[in-house]
Amino acid sequence: MNPIILIASKESGELLGSGRGLGWLLALSVILSVLALLLVSNTELSLLDNAQVVYMVMGTITALGGLLALVLGSDAIAGEKERGTLIPLLLTPLTTTQMVLGKMGGQVVAWVLMYALSLPYLWAVGSSGQNLVQAIAYLALFGTPVVLGFGFYAIGLSARFGNVRTALLAALITLMLLASPLLIGPSLRQSTLGKLFDMVNPFSAALNTFDSVVIDSQPFSMQLGRFSVTLIWLALTLWFARRSAQAMEI
Amino acid sequence: MKRIMSLFVLLGALLGAGSAWADAPVQITLTPDSHNPAQPKMGDWLKFHSVIKNTSSQPVSGLVVWISLVQVDPGKEQPVDLEDWSAHKAALQPSLAPGQSFSVDWPIRLIQAGNYRVVISAAERTASTLLASPFADFHVERKPTIESKRILPVALGMPLLIAAFTARRLRRRM
Amino acid sequence: MLIEVADLKLSIHANPVLNGVRLTMQEGEIYGLLGPNGAGKSTTLSVLTGLRAADSGKVNVLGLAPMQQKRELHGKLGVLAEDSGFYGWMSAHGYLHWMARLYGRELSAVEMARRLEQVGLNAANRQAIKTYSRGMKQRLGLARALLNDPQLLILDEPTNGLDPRGRREIHDVLLELSREHGVGILLCTHLLDDVDRLCSRIGIINQGKTLLEGVLAELLADKTGANRYRLRVAASSATSGTLPQGVKLLAQEGGWLHLDIAPGVHPDAAWRELFALGWGITEIRSEGGGLEELYLNITETEVVA
Repeated sequence: MNPIILIASKESGELLGSGRGLGWLLALSVILSVLALLLVSNTELSLLDNAQVVYMVMGTITALGGLLALVLGSDAIAGEKERGTLIPLLLTPLTTTQMVLGKMGGQVVAWVLMYALSLPYLWAVGSSGQNLVQAIAYLALFGTPVVLGFGFYAIGLSARFGNVRTALLAALITLMLLASPLLIGPSLRQSTLGKLFDMVNPFSAALNTFDSVVIDSQPFSMQLGRFSVTLIWLALTLWFARRSAQAMEI
Repeated sequence: MKRIMSLFVLLGALLGAGSAWADAPVQITLTPDSHNPAQPKMGDWLKFHSVIKNTSSQPVSGLVVWISLVQVDPGKEQPVDLEDWSAHKAALQPSLAPGQSFSVDWPIRLIQAGNYRVVISAAERTASTLLASPFADFHVERKPTIESKRILPVALGMPLLIAAFTARRLRRRM
Repeated sequence: MLIEVADLKLSIHANPVLNGVRLTMQEGEIYGLLGPNGAGKSTTLSVLTGLRAADSGKVNVLGLAPMQQKRELHGKLGVLAEDSGFYGWMSAHGYLHWMARLYGRELSAVEMARRLEQVGLNAANRQAIKTYSRGMKQRLGLARALLNDPQLLILDEPTNGLDPRGRREIHDVLLELSREHGVGILLCTHLLDDVDRLCSRIGIINQGKTLLEGVLAELLADKTGANRYRLRVAASSATSGTLPQGVKLLAQEGGWLHLDIAPGVHPDAAWRELFALGWGITEIRSEGGGLEELYLNITETEVVA
């Protein structure tokens, strides 16, 4: 069997078998449920267009997916090192690339589960509105590279720091930074610096695409630039994870 | 006699005020958009057009025009915070020559059901008079767009489903 | 040659950790790498297994350069690292299956049973590893190190946490691997009893430098004079006449005979010959000159120097 699949199967088995991963899925479903209930019960939110609600749910899922990827990625190498299971892995005829990709396999499973979990919520809030099918497709298309990129990035940090807490802290700071245009409000986002940051920020790229496709019904041809940003992010983080794992010291 | 004198003073004051109003250098009109829904519901958009014209012989400078919304339901009379209703809350005209006019559109998203009155106000930089358009009234019907009958089963069912699955997995492992 | 290391040097964060390690190991040998805590043993093992690059020196393991030919080397090498962990949620059975696949091997049920039996884990093989004692984990670690039928086995403190019976069982497994399968074993331990019982060659390192290396029996002879024993023999027995080759009578006092056994002569063989000569030996005691004395002498001398 391919070693990448072997590592990935171990990772996903650990995720689903240990209760930790199931706990994450439960937490995610609770967050989405709270959001959905707010949409029904809150006067202002309940007036939002279906499309706007779908956009909000898509953004929440992408952010939570990124967060889960960061947590799993930070533990991927440093956690194994701390638990003493890394050396036996490194002493097998496995290459570092195979190990990184295998570790990523576990995160792919986690993201697929999260994605599957989000579908009933998207249906519930958006089935009577516009562009639900597009929303489902674009969440997969743009959410996947963004979320997996966060995973690779955290794996790289995990290999570099060799310590779960430090890696997680650094990863979370990055997530906050990338999400900052959304937090700092529209006025700063409209500044030159804000626009520039928005242009290269994969998280913004995904959210702006969700906005463009779901709310404004714009075609894929208008999303190509932003799609490239997410793919470049994925490629760069993969490179970072590989380099960090290769330079890792025991 | 004293009473008659007081009446004259009051009439004089009122006439003075009336002439000040009549001498307002700017005239503001307020018209609902022709495409506005006849029976607007919560979540709908309404648009109002206003034209601000300098009717005096002097140029007007530093003119600020803004929209105000008041709920007029009996017992609920109150000004409305436009935060969620409109991002378009004010317009500024640095100068307006005599006879010149400019128009401003005011889109409003209807957030809450009720009876409302909208008015456009303007203030000049140097003058102390408040200028206002005529009122425009409208009624908003209630309409929830997110249907709870779809959301509730999902929002309550999904966590329960996952919790049950988690408990089953963990019990099997013990 | 299985391992060839010469003048190995390595600094970590500008601190010299290895400063002239040498180590040579032949096929089928059991080599004991000794040294106090922090002497550089584990770092040497990291370099040998390709987990860490040396700054300078020659490193050759199974004819391969560990850093450059890591994958090839790891396919032929079995390693039990000190405090190596396991996935606690897996069973020993599942874990070994999974690890074997990483080596490209599919273990049959019979093969799996044999391997678990070999390390004495057959009874508990379906339990989650997190329920295992330290000794059981050591046994599982050994089974893991043997998964790829290695030509060279590198073991860091393999009998840690094992009771005397468990230690003896692991000793027997290692001796069998060495004698019957020709597997070379590099044993890194602080338990001199393990070394005494298993190793034919040793190396002692301290402060990142090899202080002594060679055949254990020869080193004992060279560094402690010889293997000296005192024997009590029955009064009626004859103790005169020609002594077996390599055995020298040094003195006779208070009912004890002081003997010197030359390097290369196994004491058991000498006692058999003396019995044959009519010596009624009733008690044999070693008079120093053992591994512990050698180890303490070497490491203390270096520290004082």
